[in-house]
Amino acid sequence: MLFKKRAERLFMWVFFPLALLMPMFLEQNEYYVNKLTTIMILSIFVMSLDYLVGKCGLITLGHAMFYGLGGYLFVILAPEYEAVNFWVYTFYICAISAAIALVIGLLVLRTSGIYMIMITLAFAQMTFYYFSGSIDYGGTDGVFVYVKPETSIFGLSLFDLDNPTHFYYLCLLSLFNTLLFFKVLVRSQFGRVVDAIQVNPGRTTALGYNIFVYKLMSYVVASALGAYAGYLFTLQYGFVNPSMLSWTTSGTALVMLILGGIGSIYGAILGTITYEGLHYTLEHWTEHWMLFMGGLIILMVMVFKKGIAGFLEDLLEKRDGK
Amino acid sequence: MDSTLFIVQLINGIQYGLVLFLIASGLTLVFGVMGILNLAHGSMYMVGAYLAWYFVQHTGSFALSAFISAVIALCIGVVVERTLIRQLYRRNHLDQVLLTIGMIFVFNALQSLLWGNDPLGVEVPEALAASIPLTGIIEYPVYRIFVAVFCIVVAAAMYYVINKTRLGMLIRAGESNREMVECLGVDISRLYTIVFAIGVMLAAVAGVVAAPISSIVPGMGEHILISCFVVVVIGGMGSIKGAFVGALLVGLVDTFASVLVPELSSMMIYVFMAFVLLLKPQGLFSS
Amino acid sequence: MENNVILETEGLCKYWGGLKALDNLSLAFHDKQLHGIVGPNGAGKSTLLNMLCGHYKPTSGEIIYRGESISSIKPFEFARRGIGRSFQKTNIYTNATCLENCCVAVQRLMGGSFNFFRSRYSQKMLDDIATKALEKVGLAHRRDYIASQISYGEQRQLEIAMVLATSPALLLLDEPMAGMGHEESQLIINLLNTLKKEYCIVLVEHDMDAIFELSDQLTVMVDGQHLVTGSVDEVREDARVKEAYLGQGDEVY
Repeated sequence: MLFKKRAERLFMWVFFPLALLMPMFLEQNEYYVNKLTTIMILSIFVMSLDYLVGKCGLITLGHAMFYGLGGYLFVILAPEYEAVNFWVYTFYICAISAAIALVIGLLVLRTSGIYMIMITLAFAQMTFYYFSGSIDYGGTDGVFVYVKPETSIFGLSLFDLDNPTHFYYLCLLSLFNTLLFFKVLVRSQFGRVVDAIQVNPGRTTALGYNIFVYKLMSYVVASALGAYAGYLFTLQYGFVNPSMLSWTTSGTALVMLILGGIGSIYGAILGTITYEGLHYTLEHWTEHWMLFMGGLIILMVMVFKKGIAGFLEDLLEKRDGK
Repeated sequence: MDSTLFIVQLINGIQYGLVLFLIASGLTLVFGVMGILNLAHGSMYMVGAYLAWYFVQHTGSFALSAFISAVIALCIGVVVERTLIRQLYRRNHLDQVLLTIGMIFVFNALQSLLWGNDPLGVEVPEALAASIPLTGIIEYPVYRIFVAVFCIVVAAAMYYVINKTRLGMLIRAGESNREMVECLGVDISRLYTIVFAIGVMLAAVAGVVAAPISSIVPGMGEHILISCFVVVVIGGMGSIKGAFVGALLVGLVDTFASVLVPELSSMMIYVFMAFVLLLKPQGLFSS
Repeated sequence: MENNVILETEGLCKYWGGLKALDNLSLAFHDKQLHGIVGPNGAGKSTLLNMLCGHYKPTSGEIIYRGESISSIKPFEFARRGIGRSFQKTNIYTNATCLENCCVAVQRLMGGSFNFFRSRYSQKMLDDIATKALEKVGLAHRRDYIASQISYGEQRQLEIAMVLATSPALLLLDEPMAGMGHEESQLIINLLNTLKKEYCIVLVEHDMDAIFELSDQLTVMVDGQHLVTGSVDEVREDARVKEAYLGQGDEVY
């Protein structure tokens, strides 16, 4: 069974049906549909980070680099006033990001621990400053996307990307597929080796595995999906700018991760919803929302490390045990 | 680039590098002795600058303000170590990163709560407001030279403390072998508190001395933090000597890049770092 | 008695700065024999094992496996050529079941480690081979237990099972009986007696009774130097050994 834990199954049965029906409840209230779409996109991003941090033990502070690259690659590759095919560009962007991740991974993954945290951050900053200073790509203002791609596949066009509800469903579908993909990956034979490496790298080497290759492949896969999320974000808002690449984007994603529960994959969605929900509520209440958010993060790290997913699992298992 | 401009840039680079060293030395000290990566270290630099501004407004004396700010920073360091950082010693890197990100949020919020979000500035103290003529037209401000000299004095003091005093001996021992220090009957938790507080104070003092020559804005802490990361990665984590060399290199690269390749200047230090890492993955002075 | 030589060292040295952890060691390990290595602490026994499995690189000298020098290959390639090792400190995947522990080992042989989609739980053949490895060390009844929940002695057995599951030709065992009670040790001794009929085993062990009972060849090392190699009886009678090692008294730990 793909979803072994009760909490996971509960989440799947509650979240996805609810998410499917949501646009009907909102009765075309565009603001909220857009907000939820962004949450889906961020969830994909955070989920890819969760795979790296939670499943592979590769702590990075530079994941935003790929998020931003997803957006920038689109504006670099696509002609400005012509609708390109969404699926073709999905392929391009994921493939190129994967290639970039391969090269950077070769450098970054030679290090570990705190070094890796700082070097991933430094690479992200490098791209951040490159695009901030670049005149061709609009500097700190970024670039606008004037024409959104069309989504026909074999002559069948399912989504109209200019329609927020359509876009919402595209992102929901993407999120569902990403979740499924990571769950399958974690359960796979490849996932077995990744688990082994995280628990005991020395033992895994002594059994004859070249652990560097497995780390590199995980890094490439997670980076490509991070870039896909950035690509969706750029299409949703019709622009890309360097703030997508900034280290606060990476840091915030880590925070969402710990809120949701590290290493649980589906927790990424819970964490993103919680963070965005809290952010929205606090921001409306006080301009100093960061004070409360910061306090909450500190509290989570100190006493509530397993996050919401861990809390749910404990709750349901306790009930099972009795 | 003519020779005068070259000299001016050289002095600028060294002066910027020395300020970076002041901040990075605290970061690398805390890492070397306690094994803690403190992302909120840059926030202390910001706190120092804002405190300097606040007290200059009220006392009018820069020297007095600098002193009060340093003392406050020391207290902040003690409190933060005793309440938060202490929880991290047996935790993994991820917890360190997350907890200190939480601290950044809190410090940033407090900054905007107490001092608002408008850019602020501190006047150069009158005694140091002069300029030294270099050639007929180009002058160099005395205050910048004062900053450089001040940083060198602090660096020399640190060298003395670490190599010649009992505290320094414990710091060096703590870096190599935590258990041994405990066996010697030293109260390791007090040592940690002292080291962390000194680290915080160094960052804050850097913020104070840099206040008159840079604008005081929200987010200044994060910006400087990431430059310090580059410094310690180049120098080798935990090495004070490495931080010194790394800081000067970063200062020079950054300053010259902004003259030679202005559009790419901000990313040059990262390119430089990647290059160093290719040659020496553990930094220049790793132990 | 004269079986094929599987592994040889030629003038193997390991220096840590000025310290000679191992100096000019030349040994030959034969197939289907148990080669014991003894010596006081700091004699360089673990250093030797760490080099034989690729964990450390020799300062100078050669490691020759089936006639081919392997001194310069990467650590993971040692295991791929059939050199399996157990560690001094128990080294297993504590969060997984005993079966899963062995499956990780088997999967490296069977391939499929780069398969992103096929479930790790879907392969009966892989499970069967892993189960066989557990049976071999007498842990079949612990198959579905989490490794951290079985006894310490059983964890050591599990580690040997994992090594066996990689189908090695050579086993490097670093103190497999350390920290065990008498009964548990006896289990391991029986196990090694069976295994040495199939594999070449290099055993580092402090338990003298055990090593005298098990060894076909015995090497005594002192201070990183090779002292003597021979059959158990030869070593027992050797005057240098008595002087350098046993002469210090009966306490040899």
